[in-house]
Amino acid sequence: MQNPYIPYPVVVDKIITEVDTKDIKTFRFKFVNPEDEEKYAYIPGQFGELSIFGKGESPIGIASSPTQKGYVEFTVQKAGVVTTALHEMEEGTLMGLRGPLGNSWPLEYLEGKNIVIVGGGFAFTTLRSLINYMIHDDNRKRFGNITVIYGARTPGLLLYKDELEEWGKRSDLNLNVTVDKGDATWKGREGFVPTVCKEVAPSKENAVAVICGPPIMIRFTLPVFFEIGFSKENIITSLEMRMKCGIGKCGRCNVGSKYVCKDGPVFSLAELDQLTPEY
Amino acid sequence: MEKRLIKKEALAGIAKKMAEEFLVWAPVKKEDNVLFEPLQKDGEPYLAYLNSKNAPKNVFFPHTETLMKYTRTEKGMAFSSEENKAAESVLFGVRPCDAHSFALLDMLFDQDKYKDAYYIAKRLNTTVISMACVKPPYASCFCTSVDGEPVSSEGADVLLTDIGSDYLVEFITAKGEKLTRYFGDTKADAAADTRKEEIAAKAKEAIQSKIPAHEVKPILDVNFDNPFWNTIHSKCLACGTCTYMCPTCHCFDISDEVKGADGVRIRSWDSCMFPLFTKETSGHNPRTSQKERWRQRAMHKFKYYVDNFNAIACVGCGRCVMSCPVNIDIRKIVEDISKL
Repeated sequence: MQNPYIPYPVVVDKIITEVDTKDIKTFRFKFVNPEDEEKYAYIPGQFGELSIFGKGESPIGIASSPTQKGYVEFTVQKAGVVTTALHEMEEGTLMGLRGPLGNSWPLEYLEGKNIVIVGGGFAFTTLRSLINYMIHDDNRKRFGNITVIYGARTPGLLLYKDELEEWGKRSDLNLNVTVDKGDATWKGREGFVPTVCKEVAPSKENAVAVICGPPIMIRFTLPVFFEIGFSKENIITSLEMRMKCGIGKCGRCNVGSKYVCKDGPVFSLAELDQLTPEY
Repeated sequence: MEKRLIKKEALAGIAKKMAEEFLVWAPVKKEDNVLFEPLQKDGEPYLAYLNSKNAPKNVFFPHTETLMKYTRTEKGMAFSSEENKAAESVLFGVRPCDAHSFALLDMLFDQDKYKDAYYIAKRLNTTVISMACVKPPYASCFCTSVDGEPVSSEGADVLLTDIGSDYLVEFITAKGEKLTRYFGDTKADAAADTRKEEIAAKAKEAIQSKIPAHEVKPILDVNFDNPFWNTIHSKCLACGTCTYMCPTCHCFDISDEVKGADGVRIRSWDSCMFPLFTKETSGHNPRTSQKERWRQRAMHKFKYYVDNFNAIACVGCGRCVMSCPVNIDIRKIVEDISKL
């Protein structure tokens, strides 16, 4: 019986500072025991508990795609005790990783459909996982049109800049990157995510919107999609709650009779309507 | 099912005999309180108890428990071992309400997908001997409203019932039957069964306190926003006593402790009554006041647990009623909800 409280030992293999404020970094982990990588088979949208012995654990969405073999990545903002300790780590450090936890983006449901991905700020991480999964050669034909709308406050706060550039060159992905306010070198789009959604106006035909971002962005983006005619079943998002165990026992991510860690974090708006508004 | 009769005065000796061979958790008197504690060599089980001050859930789910140990290496803290040993033990003399709580906790800790190895190891290695309540111990007892009975074997491996001069000893499970050798060789006759049935019926009738625990489920389903929730929390001190006393409350925290080069990851009881319980690093707190926390507690016991496991997460022991420093009474709350 695998003990779900015990992390897999991992080594910090690579650290990438994502933003100019330097408080968001991507951490690439390699499993100390190669066989653990197989046990850590995950699906985009799932999360892991980053486990720093002596500090504690922090639940973070998985930012890499299962199509990327040999490692797993998490993009982490420096915020509390654990994430601060993580940000101070050097490559080569030993730590722990639990999971994969939670449900995932509903890949089977998304298959054969046109996918609209809307991300804001730092909440883009598990969306990046989903995008890289869908555009992988093995998977691309399983999905229809892919439209990505991604915004950050400033150009310096955009994550995964190299990948954005690569995605921008693809003909099978409609990428729309925006910033609230550009700077001297910014040649791209300026404007808030909801406004850009309105302009891009993705069709509702056979389409699912996957939306992840700060509450304020979600609040103004949803009406845009309702107006286009997206049903609540076809708008999908991911919740965050304080968590400890990650396996539906410790009780703190309880929203109604669901546990965000185990029954979520991914819910459709139709499902969220059934939950108590306590998140 | 194997059934025996033992003389009442023999019971303490049986507990002590068992304690010579393995760990026996028994009711012991501690100042004014009765608590379930490991029976010491010269210790005496306290058999005149009504019920223990604290629920005996700590036998399977200790207040604080080590999940794993780690040690500092040149490359950082390395996992060194997991703590998951459970000694063979007997939990001697729990009341049927508390034994019922184990069946409820099993639903959570022993699910198909995620098994709680620590809890399960202790459950598997512990034989539960219940002591029927032939007289309901407290006026606040309400087990019959929440699928329990004062003479019930649910959650027990062995059930002891005081039938006058003897205890009727019923070995409910195979695990319980392994203990038959301690209980003499007087087989129980049909008369003992009849006597027990009479006592059980009488005890059940004696439970006066009743709450509409089942009836409130459909009401809770549609009353998350009812103004009623504004009315129960104002005197709550958020002390968490109700959750610590509760046999079915199981929320916990996980934290790390380091001393020198070594450290432990521990889990400790936590409480949905505490403001920090759900507070996130960003400062956002989904349950902003004691109102939301009380609603969570009531909902979790009488709706959410029913949704998830088809069981009410309350055994009617009345500990929260007796222990609340400001007299918040879950019975009254459930009663009031039934009238919404």
